[in-house]
Amino acid sequence: MFLFDTLSLTFVALIFFATIPNLFYSAGYLPHIDRKLHYLLHYFTFIFSMLGVVVSANALVFLFFWEIMSLSSWQLILTEPKEKNTINAAKFYFFMTHFGFIFLLLFFLIVTNGDLEISFAQMKIIASNFAYPTMLFFFLILGFLSKAGAVPLHVWLPYAHPAAPSPVSALMSGVMLKVALYGMFRFLFDVLYPWPLEWGIFILIIGSITSLVGILYAMSEHDIKALLANSSIENIGIILIAFAMGMIFDALQMHTLSTFAFIAALFHIFNHMGFKSLLFMGAGAILHQTHTKEIEKYGGLIKSMPITAFTFLFAAISITALPPSNGFLSEWMIFQSMLSSSNITNDMSLKLTIPFAIFALAMTGGLAIATFVKAYGISFLGLHRSTNAKHAHEVNFLMKTGMILMALYVTSLMLFTPKFLYYFDALFVSLGMPSVYADIFPQNIFSMHSIGVHGGVVSPLILLGALVGITLLLLFSYKALGVKERFYHTWSCGYKTSAQTQYTATGFSGVMRRFFTWLYQPQEHFIKQNLAGHTTKFSDANYTIHIKPLFERSLYENTKKLTNIISYWVYRLAHFEQTRYAAMIFNILLMVLFSYRIFAHGFSWATFVLEFLVMMISVKILIIGDKK
Amino acid sequence: MIIYLTTILFLILLAPILLSYIKAVKMLLLFKRPISLLQGYRNFSKLIQKETIISEETSSITRYAPFLVLSPLIVIMFFLPPIVHGSFYVSFVDAFTITGLISLSTFFLMLLGLDSASAFGGMGSSRESFVSALVEPAMVLTIFSVSLMAGNLGIGQAGVNLAEHFPQEHMASFLFAGISFFILLVAENGRIPVDNPETHLELTMIHEAMILDLTGVYLAIIESASSIKFVIFASLFSSLFIPFGYELSAPLAVLVFILKLFFIATLVAFLEISTAKLRLFKIPNLLGLSIVFAFLSLITFYVLGA
Repeated sequence: MFLFDTLSLTFVALIFFATIPNLFYSAGYLPHIDRKLHYLLHYFTFIFSMLGVVVSANALVFLFFWEIMSLSSWQLILTEPKEKNTINAAKFYFFMTHFGFIFLLLFFLIVTNGDLEISFAQMKIIASNFAYPTMLFFFLILGFLSKAGAVPLHVWLPYAHPAAPSPVSALMSGVMLKVALYGMFRFLFDVLYPWPLEWGIFILIIGSITSLVGILYAMSEHDIKALLANSSIENIGIILIAFAMGMIFDALQMHTLSTFAFIAALFHIFNHMGFKSLLFMGAGAILHQTHTKEIEKYGGLIKSMPITAFTFLFAAISITALPPSNGFLSEWMIFQSMLSSSNITNDMSLKLTIPFAIFALAMTGGLAIATFVKAYGISFLGLHRSTNAKHAHEVNFLMKTGMILMALYVTSLMLFTPKFLYYFDALFVSLGMPSVYADIFPQNIFSMHSIGVHGGVVSPLILLGALVGITLLLLFSYKALGVKERFYHTWSCGYKTSAQTQYTATGFSGVMRRFFTWLYQPQEHFIKQNLAGHTTKFSDANYTIHIKPLFERSLYENTKKLTNIISYWVYRLAHFEQTRYAAMIFNILLMVLFSYRIFAHGFSWATFVLEFLVMMISVKILIIGDKK
Repeated sequence: MIIYLTTILFLILLAPILLSYIKAVKMLLLFKRPISLLQGYRNFSKLIQKETIISEETSSITRYAPFLVLSPLIVIMFFLPPIVHGSFYVSFVDAFTITGLISLSTFFLMLLGLDSASAFGGMGSSRESFVSALVEPAMVLTIFSVSLMAGNLGIGQAGVNLAEHFPQEHMASFLFAGISFFILLVAENGRIPVDNPETHLELTMIHEAMILDLTGVYLAIIESASSIKFVIFASLFSSLFIPFGYELSAPLAVLVFILKLFFIATLVAFLEISTAKLRLFKIPNLLGLSIVFAFLSLITFYVLGA
């Protein structure tokens, strides 16, 4: 019933690392939740169900805990059900998570032959005898990626994650998405193992698009938690890219490179859990002090909330993959494994395709810097943009403890990278892949080598030491210089420096928004109050921008429309008079006869057109009838 | 080891001279009386002696960010390819680390812009984030292509490899990568088609807008950071794309290296004098060109092997 192998235990460790700081934070957050019992009940159910998912040993237990996990997180979104948005988000989440569940169920019903209690090893035998493995693959990724939030099944995520209380958002983004990825690891390795090359390429494409789309919407977002949720989508994309590289190399029989890429994916999973939880905790702390998610209403919070500000900065540096942070190391590994594509010898088109994924990943990195400069700079720096921000002060001790603990976790990922990689390596060895730890750290733990590319080396600790050393040296020489300092207001062209003279978040992302107009298609709302007798001078003006995600606008809303049309016709069908049903039977009979004639006597256009006309006329007269 | 450290110190000292040289060449071409090559030092010493005015609206970020802007760039100086045969060099540090460190420096510069609560700072940060987001993919692809030709991803080793066995057979892709890298050099250092370092007009500023509120020592630090950044890019360009002279005897090699740096500076000056600054929304076209050349270089290398 339960299984405790290396893969499971790795994810158990991930859940524990995420949960322990989160418990402190949650305890500090609790006084601000109205329905405490409801919250606590679902909170702990949620954590235990995630643990259950990663240790389950058969499909029945897996699906059971998976469903408990979905339902408890759904209820957690509804902790504060006063806003209409929250209810809509919960509905959307409920629908999407069960959409994925259907595919998982289909997958399991096929690979278990209906007996859900058999072990993974037995599933593998059934799956290898199944005639259409690609169908199984699609069921699997539809099931898991709809939970993990890969494009185009990501649209629910920026609504659902922010709607939950912040500790839960941290868990959902930090851990629940990873549990979905655990599912991919588990069933791709244990059940569907020999992968065709195409599967890897498919995931690579999905991953590249996901990372770009995620970060582009994060860039344009003004709700801090939705921004972070969009950035989670981006990171899932990055993890999927690494995962896909592993699959591609495995399909090409380049096993050490494959292990390297999978280790990179797993490392990024651990990293993303750390910094994203930390960012959500920071966002929760701000939200809790200012009572708004609107980034435009923050500003200057670094003065009143120093600990939140510094942990947030730390996480921001890490998530934007700046050296020497742990985020940089995992992204470095992913880049290295993509560069190893130059070792592919027999597939030129693949070799030419992977640079496009490199492009996507590099672009994502650049946009991530812009996004987090915006998120950090607008919220924490400058002047207070609202009275709420002015009255903010540092959060309580327990919440601070939670944030500091998580920051320590992120730091330990940075400092003890070799140790973590050692365990990840052991994990993949247990899955039957070659060990690469000795190749990554050939001489000592100070320099990390890449595999396959000649000479790709990074030395995180030396880099950290050099940066800290030189910065301290500069600081001391500044102190030693004994510079006279004077304090005065910022110059703003002779006007009084105030919160209004600052750049806003809308303004900050304005350049990007204009460049990517084709994607965003923003709706602008510009209201201004002109002074009497003037056409250009105005007393006050309000400019807001609303961006509805492209996928929601095109894919989801059109699906909704199509479903509406179909259900309308089904409704019509169910409410016909009896004569019409008779007419339909007559029409079907006609169709059968005509098609029989075509099959039996060959096709000719003249008779086809004639018969088609007869059919249409009889449908029009007998079934549709007059318009009322 | 001594040569290694001397080289770093020498490059840091050369940095302000190079920027002054660009300016002097431009002035000469405009029939103005050129500034002295030591103008950079004069500015620096003057700024250091001035009192520093710190804005009341800023936070501790302004206190520390200037140092964090400069220190990653100084760290990069230790990883550059050697200029003299036989000197010690850090062979292994790869290009991602270098681009990452440059991004780290830019990250703090952008925060600095947002910290002063002025509209200019935010405007500069916003534009800089836009440009650097587009620079990133071109940079990674160009470096990927060069490292394929050099047979090593470590920048130091790649420079040495290129100098020792120049890849004659890959001339085409080498040239494409060179064009791409030159565009990046111009874009990253805020030279004219992308940014005009000499004006303080809000329509055109990118880099200057972010640091508008800094004075005294802080301004001196940021100015030296931008000159060091130029030297980093120029010496990368000269080691990777004009890889000759390394084999010569030490004094001659240094001379050739300096000449190459001044040649690059002259190129930049001529470019600045002959083009107008691009509109902000035209910059993606230029950087897109660089991305296209990087792709071309990779594809030529893979498909044609040329």
